[in-house]
Amino acid sequence: MSGSGKGRGRAAFTFNIEAIGFAKGETLPEVAFKPPPLFPPTDFKPVPLKMGEEEDYMLALKQEFRASMKKMPYFMQKEDENQGIEKYSKKYLQMRKESMEWTPAGGKTKKGKVATPKSNVDVLKKIEELEKKGDEEKSDEEKEKEKDKEGEEEEEEAGNEQEEYDEEEHEEENDYIASYFEDGDDFGAGSDDNMDEATY
Amino acid sequence: MTQAEIKLCSLLLQEHFGEIVEKIGTHLIKTGSQPLRVIANDTGMSLDQVKKALCVLIQHNLVTYQLQKRGFVEYEASCSRVLRILRYPRYIYTAKTLYSDMGELIVEELLLNGKMTMSAVVRKVANRLTETMEDGKTMDYGEVSNTFVRLADTHFIQRCPMAPETTETSDAPPPPVPTLAVNEKDMYVVPNLNLIGKGKRRRSFDDEDDGEHKAKRQKQDADSKEPPPDDGIYWQANIDRFHQHFRDQAIVSAVANRMDQIFRSLPAGYNIVKQILDQYLTLLADDPLEFVGKSGDSGGGMYVINLHKALATLATATQESIVQERFGSRCARIFRLLLRKKHLEQKQVEDFAMIPAKEAKDMLYKMLSENFVSLQEIPKTPDHAPSRTFYLYTVNTLSSARMLLHWCYKSVANLIERRQYETKENKRLLEKSQRVEAILASMQATGAEEVQLQEIEEMITAPERQQLENLKRNVNKIDASENQVDETIFVLESYIESTVKKL
Repeated sequence: MSGSGKGRGRAAFTFNIEAIGFAKGETLPEVAFKPPPLFPPTDFKPVPLKMGEEEDYMLALKQEFRASMKKMPYFMQKEDENQGIEKYSKKYLQMRKESMEWTPAGGKTKKGKVATPKSNVDVLKKIEELEKKGDEEKSDEEKEKEKDKEGEEEEEEAGNEQEEYDEEEHEEENDYIASYFEDGDDFGAGSDDNMDEATY
Repeated sequence: MTQAEIKLCSLLLQEHFGEIVEKIGTHLIKTGSQPLRVIANDTGMSLDQVKKALCVLIQHNLVTYQLQKRGFVEYEASCSRVLRILRYPRYIYTAKTLYSDMGELIVEELLLNGKMTMSAVVRKVANRLTETMEDGKTMDYGEVSNTFVRLADTHFIQRCPMAPETTETSDAPPPPVPTLAVNEKDMYVVPNLNLIGKGKRRRSFDDEDDGEHKAKRQKQDADSKEPPPDDGIYWQANIDRFHQHFRDQAIVSAVANRMDQIFRSLPAGYNIVKQILDQYLTLLADDPLEFVGKSGDSGGGMYVINLHKALATLATATQESIVQERFGSRCARIFRLLLRKKHLEQKQVEDFAMIPAKEAKDMLYKMLSENFVSLQEIPKTPDHAPSRTFYLYTVNTLSSARMLLHWCYKSVANLIERRQYETKENKRLLEKSQRVEAILASMQATGAEEVQLQEIEEMITAPERQQLENLKRNVNKIDASENQVDETIFVLESYIESTVKKL
C-alpha cells in the first residue's frame, strides 16, 4: 500500500526522470560538493586578440592618456612613507609636486556675510601670509586662483617657470633675490608678479 | 551597482586620479548621495582632502551636487560615467578619424581636463601641434578654432551647464550651491572669439632668441593672468553623441557584411540609379534581420531603420559567438536553434539539432549551469507535479545580456588588477631602466662617445632586458584586451539600454 517508488530505502524522484532526458536506471552525473575550481581547465582556447593599426593606435592612446593623467594636478597621491634611503632627486621631484599643489578656490561664506569679491580676499591674504610663509606659498596661491580657469595650463607654466622658482627656493632666507637684476629690462615690471609686495 | 561594477570603477579611479580620489569616489558610488561631512566621517579623511577630491570628480563630470530641501548639499557619483573612462581611447580615435589630428587633440584635452574654456583648449592644442611640427613652423589658432567649431556643430562637444548671471545689486546672500543650467539652444553655440595667435614651443633651441624669448615669455605670462574673453563658458566632450556614432557604425558594418555579395556588384560612386536603389531597399526590408522596415508607400516608399531590432540582433550575435567560443560549435548550434524556436523540450532539441541524446543533454546542462539557457516550467495540472510538467529550454536574451555584461565588467577588473600586479612585480627593474634611459639621454645631449653609451646600456643585463621585453609585451596585451572587452560592453549596454528606455 504505502510502498511507493522503487522500493524501500532507495532514492526516487517525484517526477518522471525521462522528462529531462535521463534514461531509466542510468547513472546520474556527479553531485557537486565543492565550489568550482578557480581556473577550470577549458576545452577551447580563447580567440586571439584583434590586431591591426587601429588597435595599436588605440593601445598607444590609452597608455599615453594614463601617463598624462598621472602627471596632472588632478592626480592626488597619498604621501609615501620614507623609503629608507633619501634620494637626491626626491628634493627636485618634491619641488615640482608642490608647484602643482592647489586648493579648491572660493571659500564658504559664513551665514549673513555677503561674499566679498575674491580678488580682494586673495590680495589681503597674500599680504598677511607673505611674512609668514616663503616663496612656495606664492606659487600655491597663484595656482589656486587660476586652477579653475586654466587647469592644465598651469602645469606647463610651472614647467616654464620652474627654473626661475627653483633658484629662489634653493636659496637661504635672505633679502636678496637672485633674479632681481638678471633681466635688466624687466626690473620690477613683470618678472615675478609678487615682487611688488615684497618691497616695503 | 553590482559588486563587479564598483570594483571596476574603483580601479579606474585609482589609475587615473590617485588613491584619495578613488576612496572618496568609491564610497559615493556605494552609498549614493551624501553630504560633505558624512563623506569625511565615513571615509576617515580630512575635510580638505574630501573637498579637493570632490573638486576633481566634479571637474571631470563624475560627481554632481544637489541642494536638498533641508538646506544641505548632497553629492552623488555616477557609476556608469566612471565606467566610460574605459572608452576614452575610442572617443579620441574616433575624433581622429573624423577630424584628423586637430580634432583628436581637442577631444583628448577635453577628456584630460573634464571641462575647459575654448580659448584654453585652442591654446593648448596649438602648442602641442607646434611641438610636433618642424623647427620654425607654428600652428595658427585659426585652424584649431575652425576644427573646434566643427566639433561643436556636429555636437561632439557641448557646453557645460553654467551658473546663472548674478546681478551686482543683489542683497540676499548667495545660495549655498549654484544651480547650473544650460539652455538647450545654447548648448552648441560657440562664443564669438577672435583668437589670434600661434602655438608656442615649450623649449626653444634657438640660442639667439633665448634672451628675448625669456623676456617675451614673462610678458606673455603676465598677459595670461587676465581672464580670457570667454571666461565661464566651459566645454565638455559629448559622450552620448560618440555613442550614437559607434552604434551607427556597428549597424552599418553589420548590414555591409550581410550584403557583401551584392555590394561587390554595386556601381562605383553614389549615383545609383533609382531602380537599383529600390531593389536594394526592398532586399534590405525583406531581409530576415529586419534592420530596415518599410513603413509606408508615400514618396515612392518610406523606409525606416529599426534600431531596437538592430541592437537586439547585434547583442544576440555577440552572445552566439561567446557560446561558440566557450562551448564549441555544437553548443552554438543548439543555442541558435533555441533562439529561433524560442521554447523546446529536451527531446525536440535532440531531434532538431541532430545531435545524439547524451551529448545534447550534456551540452544543455553545461549551458544551463552557466545561465545561457533557462528552463521554463509549464504545468499540466494545477498541483505542479513534476511528473506532469513540461520543462522547456529557452534563451532569454535580455537576462543573458545582463549576465554577460556583468562578466565583462569582472573581466576588465581582473585584467586591470593583473596588469597592476605585473607592473608592481617588476617595479625595481622598471625604475632601473628609466634611470638608465635618463642617463643615456643626458649623455647624448652632451655628446658622449659611442663607447661610453654602450657601457651605460650594458648596465641592463641581457636577462633583464628579456624580462623587460616580456613585461612590455604582457602589459600591452592586457591593455589591448581591455580595449576589446570594452567593445563588447558597448554592444551589450546599448542593447540593454534600448530595452529599458521607452523611446
